[in-house]
Amino acid sequence: MSRGLEIDISLLLDRFTLSVRWQTAESSLGIFGPSGAGKTTILETLAGLRAAARGVIRVDGRTWLDSARGIRLPPERRGIGYVPQDLLLFPHRDVMGNLRSGRRRAERAGRARIEPRKVLEVLELADLAGRDVRTLSGGERRRVALGRALCSGPELLLLDEPLANLDLALRRRILPYLFRVREEFAMPTLHVSHDATEIKALCREVMVLAGGRTMAHGPPDEIFATPSIVPMTWAEGFENVVRGMVTAVSDSVVTVDLEPGVSITVAAGGAGIDRAAAGREAAPAVGSEAILAVRAEELILATQTPTALSAQNILAGTIRDIREARPEDGHAGQLLVGVAVGRLPAPLFASITTEARRRLGLREGMPVTIVCKAHSFRILATR
Amino acid sequence: MSSPPIVTLLLSLKVALWATAIIFPPGVLLGLLLARRDFRGKSMIETITALPLVLPPTAVGYLLLTLLARDGPLGERTLGFDLDLLFTWKGAALASSLMALPLVARTARVAFEEVDRRLEGVARTLGLGPVRTFVEITLPLARRGLLAAALLGFSRALGEFGATVIVAGNIPGRTQTLALGIFSEMQIGHDRQALLLVGIAVALAFATIFTVETLLRRRTRPA
Repeated sequence: MSRGLEIDISLLLDRFTLSVRWQTAESSLGIFGPSGAGKTTILETLAGLRAAARGVIRVDGRTWLDSARGIRLPPERRGIGYVPQDLLLFPHRDVMGNLRSGRRRAERAGRARIEPRKVLEVLELADLAGRDVRTLSGGERRRVALGRALCSGPELLLLDEPLANLDLALRRRILPYLFRVREEFAMPTLHVSHDATEIKALCREVMVLAGGRTMAHGPPDEIFATPSIVPMTWAEGFENVVRGMVTAVSDSVVTVDLEPGVSITVAAGGAGIDRAAAGREAAPAVGSEAILAVRAEELILATQTPTALSAQNILAGTIRDIREARPEDGHAGQLLVGVAVGRLPAPLFASITTEARRRLGLREGMPVTIVCKAHSFRILATR
Repeated sequence: MSSPPIVTLLLSLKVALWATAIIFPPGVLLGLLLARRDFRGKSMIETITALPLVLPPTAVGYLLLTLLARDGPLGERTLGFDLDLLFTWKGAALASSLMALPLVARTARVAFEEVDRRLEGVARTLGLGPVRTFVEITLPLARRGLLAAALLGFSRALGEFGATVIVAGNIPGRTQTLALGIFSEMQIGHDRQALLLVGIAVALAFATIFTVETLLRRRTRPA
C-alpha cells in the first residue's frame, strides 16, 4: 500500500452517525474502541458491504468509493480479504473448498504471489484440508477464515477482532499466525480490536474510535499513553507491551534487551513464556525479536533501589505522569503511573492505589524504580 | 369406465412431474423476490401468490377454464391457434401447477430467508460477483429448502382434484389421475378398485417422504 489508505466516510446508523476521516501511509493499521463504537461498520464499509455509506475511500491510490462522483466499486472488485468476527465460513464446503472460494480472483488478477500451498503451510492448515468446517475448533476456524481471505489474493486484509472470545491459551496460539501472515505475505492489514494489547503488539498506527467518531490516531505507544485514551483501556486491564531482542536463553530464563542497558528477564516455561506462542520453535532464538507484555498491576514501584529480592527485573525510571481512574470507569482509588524508562518509546504504566501514592509521596518528575518478577512478563511472540 | 391402475399411476406421475417442472422455476424466482427484495406492491404479489391456497380449487379451475375456453383471452379464437390444453393431461398439469404455486413459492422463500446474507457478503469480498455468489453460495445453502419446495409442489400436484377435474375432465387413460380415479371408482361402487388406488397413493406418498428424509439425512452427515 505504497500510497496508503485514505478514508473520509459518513454513514447514518441507528445509534449515531459514523463519521470517520483517516489518512495514513502505514500498512499495519488498527482501529481501537469500545463495543458499539462503529469499528465493524468501518470494516464493512471498506469491504463495500454498506450501500448507504457516503464519502471517499482510496486504497493504494485506487478509488473504491467517491459518492460525490458516483463511484462505488462493488465488493468483488475491491481486492479485500475480510475476516469477520464470526468468521462466516461456508458451511457447505470443506476446509479446502473454503480456502479455494476466492481463488478465481487471485488467479485472474495474476496475484500469484500468494500461493495456496504457502498459506496452508504458514497457517498450518494442511492436515485440515478435507475436514468439514463445522467440526473444527475455534482456533482452527479462525485460521481457515484467515487462509480463505489470503488465498483470494487481497490487497488489504480486514480483520475484525481476530482474538476476541478466545481463551488466553488460544489467543497466544493465534497471535503468532497473525505475525507470520504479516511477515510472510507483507500484507497491509487493518485490524479491529477492543483490546489495546493486541493493537500495541500488532499495529504501527491506530485510530481510536468512540461513538462513531475518531478520537485520535497515531502510533499505538503514543496514542495509548494519551491521557484522554488511557481510561478506555482500563476496562480490559492495562497491559504494557514492549519489544526487544533476545540476548540470552537459559534453562530457566530468557533475557530480552529492550535497548542497550535495559534488559528484561523473563521466566522460561510456566506462565511467563508460552512455547506455543513462540511458534513451532521450542524456545526463542538468541537474536530474534520478542514482544513482551506485562500487566500494569504486576509492576511494583519503589522510591529506593531495593536489594536482595527474588524479583529479577529492577528498572530505573522517572515518573512522567499519574492518572486517576474516573469513578465512572469502576476503578475508583486506582492510579496509573507512567514511568519513563531509558529511551523506550512509551512509558511503562504501573497500577497502584491512591493510598500507595500518598504513602510514597509519588509525584511527576520523581525518580523511581520498577520491580517486577520474571514470571510476570509473558512473551506474546518472537520472530 | 376405468383404466388399469398402472395407467392411472403413470399418468398421475407424469402430470405431477410436469406440474412441478412448470411451477418450480417461477415459484423459486418468486420466493427469491419475496425473500430478498422490497418493492412497491410486494404485499399484493404475496397475496396473489397465496390465493390458490385459500380459494376453492374448483374456483381456480373455473378461472383457468374461462381463460382457455374457445372465446377466452387464451382461447383458440383470440390467439388464432389452439393451445390444446383443455381436457388433456397438459391441462391437468397446468391446473395442478397453479395449485402448487403457493407451496413452492412460500417454501422457497423461507429457504432463501434462512441463508445468512452475510455469507453472501463475504463471498462478494472474495471476488465472486452477484451471479456467482448466488450459484455458488446461496443456491447450495438453500438446496434443502428448495428440494422441499419441489417435493411439496409434487405432492400437492399429485393430490390435486378440484381444478384438474374442471380443466382436464376425468377421462380414463387420458386425464384420470389417482385422485380422480379414486373418486370415479367410489362413485360407481367399485370399492376394491378404489381401495387399490388408495393403496397406490399411500405407497407413493410414503416413497416420496422417505426419499426426502433419506436425502436430507445424507446431506447433513459430515463429509
